Amino acid sequence: MTIQTPAKEKTHTFRLLAPGVVWMILFLVAPIMMIVYVSFWTQTTFSINSTLTLDSWKNFFGSEAYVGALWTTVRLWLIVLALTFLIGYPAALYVGLLVKSKTVSTVLLVLCVIPFWTSFLIRVLAWRPMLGKEGAINILLQKAGIIDSPIEVLLFSELSVIIGMTQIYVVFMVGPIAFMLGRIDRNIIEAARDLGAGFGRIFWKIILPLSLPGVVVGAIFVSVMVLGEFATSGALSGRKVNLLGNIIVTQVGSLKWAMASVVGVILTILLGIVVAGFLRIVDLKREL
Amino acid sequence: MESNVLKPILAVYVALFVLFLYGPFIVLGILSFQQGPEGGPQFPIIEWSTYWYRHLFGMVPPSRIAPLPVGEALIRSLILAFMTMVTATVLGVMAAQAFRRRFRGAGVVFYLIVLGMMVPGVLTGLGTSLLANNVLDIERHWYTTAFVAHVVYTFPFAFLVMLAILNRFDSSVEEASWSLGVSPIRTFRKVTFPLIFPGVLSAMLFAFTLSFDEFPRTLFASGRDQTLPLAIYGTFSVEIHPNIFAFGVMTTLFSFALLAVYGILMGLSVRRAKKMAMQEEIA
Repeated sequence: MTIQTPAKEKTHTFRLLAPGVVWMILFLVAPIMMIVYVSFWTQTTFSINSTLTLDSWKNFFGSEAYVGALWTTVRLWLIVLALTFLIGYPAALYVGLLVKSKTVSTVLLVLCVIPFWTSFLIRVLAWRPMLGKEGAINILLQKAGIIDSPIEVLLFSELSVIIGMTQIYVVFMVGPIAFMLGRIDRNIIEAARDLGAGFGRIFWKIILPLSLPGVVVGAIFVSVMVLGEFATSGALSGRKVNLLGNIIVTQVGSLKWAMASVVGVILTILLGIVVAGFLRIVDLKREL
Repeated sequence: MESNVLKPILAVYVALFVLFLYGPFIVLGILSFQQGPEGGPQFPIIEWSTYWYRHLFGMVPPSRIAPLPVGEALIRSLILAFMTMVTATVLGVMAAQAFRRRFRGAGVVFYLIVLGMMVPGVLTGLGTSLLANNVLDIERHWYTTAFVAHVVYTFPFAFLVMLAILNRFDSSVEEASWSLGVSPIRTFRKVTFPLIFPGVLSAMLFAFTLSFDEFPRTLFASGRDQTLPLAIYGTFSVEIHPNIFAFGVMTTLFSFALLAVYGILMGLSVRRAKKMAMQEEIA
């Protein structure tokens, strides 16, 4: 018989957890601490040393370009977040609530997920022949006689970055919302209908509040990914849109580790505020 | 009834939504059959051809357009994804196994692990390279620094998949095995593992595909030698040609092949489980 004593059980749990926990502390927690620490190091033209200073922080807030990147990041994040919600919610409503058959709903969800098996960079790149001056959208619009000359702001502008990010991240909004909608007890809706409530009233009073945890989870996913972005903005804006992520990449490229770290810390703080803010709206532990 | 109007409208909307998700990729697929080497990455199609696919495999006479530098990068990416897959899945299974018992600090450990998938790649990448470059003073390589960053990213996914599987797991079969005097390790190998195998497969699929496609972490944490996403990114800054579109189609086909292998293995394991259940019934 191997009935395990509590003490033995404890060492067993410890042994199972130790490798993963050690890995995360060494390669996740330590690196993030490192970013905070290095942001106070002294940067000279060619090297960096660990004399503590506030210079890089002063440089960041003294530079219009850097502070501008912070606001561009916040603006783009808010726009993409709003768009993914507005575009994603009706789709989730259909997939999660209105479709009666479980199979159809699963097929639709799988259809949404399939593009994720294509390389992320290829998906970003695919917008170029779509939005370019001689791209598919311009050609279609010209053929249809809606426009005479191609719309040039479609590509290599803030708009193309917004379109690209919305398409790539909208599914992360649809998934959690559809999941929460699928769990709504249909009897509640039936009851409300029997009592004479119209669809609008049912939506505002029942469907939307009950799907809110899904919206929050989706919003957290989208926010974390958009705030840390640099590839989409790099590839679709022609270097016109600089996000915090783009600044980090260029700073590391020119070995300005201290400034890259300052931007990293600011990004971390921004993320922390956003995620904490969302978690205040809904108590996820209770809802899920 | 209002919802009778709403449903068809939303059905059309969802069709448009799916088109929005797939549109760019369809365009990319069409343009990959552009004529070469003069045809550019835009409409109209001058003439349908497989030139850019042959260009990818070096089967066309040299032209002014250099072949994509993907050969070695592809092999590196495959090895890296494999290493990541094995490590992340082992760590994930172990950690999820531990979570089947209550223990103090479970909340903290849970968030510590999940943090790995929540922190943006640009931050983990930056942090890892800072640690390697400025503290440990070691060179960055795809198989060292990038590898550990990949595991940090994929381990949480494997962990969550396994947690979901083990939550539904009926542990009385394990207890039966223990009470028959079978050692815990042997029980895990003979009883637990076959039962959680579908979950392990899913965890492996997640870890492999996420690592294979991983870009931001790799950009910072790998050294000179490029992985596949880095090689693709390198072509972004210069003029693009339809060969990159052809390449996009090829990688997608590869992913689907991977998905098919996963589906087959999954089907086999489900069938085996059914067969075992039937044998039990007969006995």
